[in-house]
Amino acid sequence: MSVRRANKIAIAVCGSSPSSRILKYDHSGRSFRILPFRQPMGVRRVSVLSELKVGESAVLVALDLPDSVQNHLMHMGFVPNALVTALRRAPAGDPTVYFVDGMEIALRHETAEAIRVREPQIDVAPAESEYQESPELLEAAR
Amino acid sequence: MNACCDTPAFAPPVAPSAASILKTVVLIGPPNSGKSTVFNRLTGLRQKVANFPGVTVEQRMGLMAGVGRDDLTLIDLPGIYSLDPYSEDARVSINVLRGKMPGTPKPDAVLIVLDSLHLTRQLMLAAPVLALGLPTLVLLNMSDLMEARGGHIDSLKLARELGAPVAQISAVHGTGFDAIPLFLNQQTDRSSTRPFVLPIVGNAASAHSWAEQVSSRTGYRPPLSVEGTRKIDDILLHRIWGPLLFLVVVVGVFEVVFSIGQPLSDGFGDILARMGSLVRPLLPAGWIQSLILDGAWKGICSVLVFLPQILLLFLFIGILEDSGYLARAALIADRVMRTTGLNGKAFIPLLSAYACAVPAIMATRTIENRRDRLATILVTPFMTCSARLPVYMLLIAAFIPNIAFLHGFLGLRTIVMLGLYLAGFIGAMTTAWLLKSSILKSSETPFILELPQYRMPTLHSLALRLIDRARIFLRQAGTIILCVTLALWVLAHLPVIQLPGGAWTAPELADSVIGRLGHFIEPAIAPLGFNWKIGIGLLSSVLAREVMVSTMGTLYGADPATQAMHLQTALHHDMTLGGALALMIFFAFAMQCTSTMAVVRRETNSWKWPAVQFLYMLVLAWVAAFVVNHVVMAIWG
Repeated sequence: MSVRRANKIAIAVCGSSPSSRILKYDHSGRSFRILPFRQPMGVRRVSVLSELKVGESAVLVALDLPDSVQNHLMHMGFVPNALVTALRRAPAGDPTVYFVDGMEIALRHETAEAIRVREPQIDVAPAESEYQESPELLEAAR
Repeated sequence: MNACCDTPAFAPPVAPSAASILKTVVLIGPPNSGKSTVFNRLTGLRQKVANFPGVTVEQRMGLMAGVGRDDLTLIDLPGIYSLDPYSEDARVSINVLRGKMPGTPKPDAVLIVLDSLHLTRQLMLAAPVLALGLPTLVLLNMSDLMEARGGHIDSLKLARELGAPVAQISAVHGTGFDAIPLFLNQQTDRSSTRPFVLPIVGNAASAHSWAEQVSSRTGYRPPLSVEGTRKIDDILLHRIWGPLLFLVVVVGVFEVVFSIGQPLSDGFGDILARMGSLVRPLLPAGWIQSLILDGAWKGICSVLVFLPQILLLFLFIGILEDSGYLARAALIADRVMRTTGLNGKAFIPLLSAYACAVPAIMATRTIENRRDRLATILVTPFMTCSARLPVYMLLIAAFIPNIAFLHGFLGLRTIVMLGLYLAGFIGAMTTAWLLKSSILKSSETPFILELPQYRMPTLHSLALRLIDRARIFLRQAGTIILCVTLALWVLAHLPVIQLPGGAWTAPELADSVIGRLGHFIEPAIAPLGFNWKIGIGLLSSVLAREVMVSTMGTLYGADPATQAMHLQTALHHDMTLGGALALMIFFAFAMQCTSTMAVVRRETNSWKWPAVQFLYMLVLAWVAAFVVNHVVMAIWG
């Protein structure tokens, strides 16, 4: 059942088969199973959040939304490089509940359509890319 | 119907403790961080809800009696995600923090509540608050839950990173609160706090990366997300069970309000009536006794008896809201809301309008789009607020037989009540659709809704809610309703006439000032099946809907023909089933509430919209009542 699958964070493995499911921990200790994101045959390119099927995940690239909305969403965890999972759809099929940064947030189709995403890659773990610390920020933070 | 919209001046504490120069403390935190539980813990019953002057942001203030510091005023700021001045909530918060809010004292210290289950994201709010340089205590709420679920934070390191003391607390269990008086007692010298320079304020992306860095340097490990909430949602947001359970919840609430609330209300009414008859011998017979007992007391009692049922309804709304179910209800309802063109965010104000339209209209400020917001404000008074409840209950109890269906699960009275709620809802949706497809057309604004984890509602916060509600209801009964009933009693007994024997006496009710006024408007309401007494009720209920019931109590009490009867029997004597149903529909649609009109005027900044709204709803109510009266007469008449 698709909703069951949503309980685990799924990450794409290129050219994977079901046998490549392994247990992984992200930077914060949460465990998740690596599930094949793409179909074994052919390639399904995902470019906006609304294209995610329930249970699938993607990495956020940019928000093509008005400033105020964009800002609000970013404070709710929709920042570039964040891993977003589609958790479930509302009973009527829309809005969809997304899991991001430990929270569940519901967005309508037209909002999710304006959020550009890319497929997560296993070599650049999405969580780690957020840790590229810029020296001046560090300096100032001290 | 409410006193929640006035702005009483809050008296600052008179004698501050000598050890401290602090007077005002501000509480801030993101939504769902447990901030209001903290506020309730710190202030207990010594709190007031008002509005920040000039704006529509709710201001909660209290004395910090909960930690033994009732010399300190605690101001609760609205739950916000950031200090970016996009929303009115955030602008008010910034002004209060900087001491630039007129009428609000400059804060001397800040308590910031963060949910330690999602600390990284919540730290984004801490940055701009700490940057203000006020003495700040960071409260990591739900730390017991975090640790139980395998999370970890080094709070000493965090304190060093933030340059502010950090305390781990649990608002629900009340642990860790001793850090608050400790912190406050230390703040004796304002200059000792070093201003904290933050690299980033305003840019969400850099604020996020700062928060990420801080949480990684302090060894923050978020707890494993619990499966409980998702398992519950698997059922409550299921494609089929979700909407079905939603209906069961709504129907169940009203069934319980009726089946348990009715005997409670009856019992309460008996007690009130007995109190009146106990006082009767103590008062001198004559017009004073009549004024106090038959005028004021009878009028107030006829409204007061509904207190148990209204509190029961608020108890259920409170449970649904505190448990986190309301957000799911909004998610289920979004599809319906959208067909009307309304923003999905309108659902939460509309839901709270089931309690009272005044706070609901104030809650529409979360809708960014002006046209969407106006449309929501204009349809809000259609939602069945608790002030309509006394009117509905009186009429239903008097005219609708108590027939049970489905083996006693559902009564005919519940069905009529739900029908009235549905009528209000349909009225709101249709009006919204009309507005959104004509004068208030606009592009849709996004619907962003956070689904909080399910929580067990605490008895403490539910009790505070009910006490607050009862207070408002009693204040209303003690002010508007008391004045109206007294005025009605006087008008019903004027002009006094001299009997042939020389004694003065009150006229027949029909010949009194109020009787003549009623007869004057009777032609306008006769087609609806209302007589002149109901007309008086309608006129007086323009002030507030529940005044209708007290007016009926006073009028029938003043009329010798019906004086001895119970109010329900007296109504039966005077009205047909068609008229009664028409009256209910009239109340479902008409905008009889001066508080709502005042708040719409304030929110829209002109008298145009409340006037349009009042006339539109009046016409709709009249037409609907006319149709109902004639249809019922044609079928059963």
